[in-house]
Amino acid sequence: MSAPLRVTAVVGTTRSVSKTKALAELIIGRLAAHAEISVEVIEIHALNPGLGAAIEREQLDARAEAAIRAAESADLLIAATPVFRGSYSGLFKHFFDFVGQYALAGKPVLLAATGGSERHAMVIDQALRPLFGFFQAWTAPMGVYLTSGDFDGTTVLNPEAYERIEVAVSDIIPVAHQLAEARSRRQAA
Amino acid sequence: MAENTRDIKLSSAVTVLSSDDPVRVFEQFATLDLISGGRAEITAGRGSYTESFPLFGYDLNDYSELFADKLDLLLKLRAENPVTWQGTTRPALHAADVSPQPGREIPLWVAVGGTSASVVRAAHLGLPMALAIIGGSYRQFAPFADLYRKAAAQFGHDAGTLKLSINSPGFLAATHREAIEVSHPYFESGWMANHHQRGQGVPMPLAAYEAQSTRAGAFFLGSPQEVTDKILDQWELFHHDRVTIQMGFGNVPQREMLKSIELLGTEVAPVVRKEIASRPEPAGGPR
Repeated sequence: MSAPLRVTAVVGTTRSVSKTKALAELIIGRLAAHAEISVEVIEIHALNPGLGAAIEREQLDARAEAAIRAAESADLLIAATPVFRGSYSGLFKHFFDFVGQYALAGKPVLLAATGGSERHAMVIDQALRPLFGFFQAWTAPMGVYLTSGDFDGTTVLNPEAYERIEVAVSDIIPVAHQLAEARSRRQAA
Repeated sequence: MAENTRDIKLSSAVTVLSSDDPVRVFEQFATLDLISGGRAEITAGRGSYTESFPLFGYDLNDYSELFADKLDLLLKLRAENPVTWQGTTRPALHAADVSPQPGREIPLWVAVGGTSASVVRAAHLGLPMALAIIGGSYRQFAPFADLYRKAAAQFGHDAGTLKLSINSPGFLAATHREAIEVSHPYFESGWMANHHQRGQGVPMPLAAYEAQSTRAGAFFLGSPQEVTDKILDQWELFHHDRVTIQMGFGNVPQREMLKSIELLGTEVAPVVRKEIASRPEPAGGPR
């Protein structure tokens, strides 16, 4: 029996009531239905002004520093962002600019995003994936992108969204377990 | 069913005309119409699954042409007998006598999923349209209803004769919770059997199913009051003439199914009919 997966979701939203957060929570809910997990949800907006005011990592306040560490130490990272001006939000990128260059290497990352229309669907593959490619992370092949039309407020209505999440989650869980085990073997050696 | 009922209409949820033979379809519905004393209706669509095309020897590349051509023949069969017809996807008919003949013109609805071209086709032919909303936000389908009416007007059809139906899954029980809990396991197993990705069924989690039952969701799923409210909400949006519910998808047991039908007939339908009759006609003419 493997240890619970430590899941950290980084939600690049600027509001507490958020479609992106709802999507991240839906993903977490399905992860919990399939695997034993512990969860930390980091809402970028809640880290301010400490996060936004810092330029160097040493300038982060304790709360923002703890959030960065939670991302760095996760067994499985969910990276979820709304599309702002055609890409991930600026603060979302600012958060990851503090993450150690190799802290996410060999870690599984599930990519998720929400946007105003279908026109931004490629944000998963053309904005998020290269960022985590830089980190040498294992990005899950299937990301989840939803548009405003898939929601009523923060309730996801589109049944295809649930299907996609289901497939994405069942793809990533065995990978996350294997990568976590390999990591703990390396650390023990 | 025709023998044991008196009033209800007997319609296909959808007849996938593209991979069927219009002559056979017409004969079957004519038979049903005769047995039922004029209660048969055809709902014809292109189909949302691809399996039937290779199964019956059709090429999926002809997807669009198959439907257009076969719908043309079906309309001809409805209009005349003996029938003479020539098309592209089926051998021609020369003064062919098709029997049995119904004593009337069997209603024919065009089923549309979410393709604007299909909406325009129904409008062009002046045929009633059944809009299938099988999940998600029904509000997103409002543009199709507008397109249907505007296009039909441009093609010169009288808007008053055009009918619109909203077709969605649903299930009713005395309470919201009961409706969800009774029907979800069946719906999910039916969904998995029908909805394949990578060669295997994809489940519909309870949360997804329940989302469809919320006020903005597409399913007529819940208590009689909730279903009544949803139909009336939809009417403000669509000004539609009919609601068709695919009830108890996945084979809900007969006892619960009968209860659901009873609730729809005794508690929902009378209220909806009375309420809509009391509301003013939508702006822009009769519906």
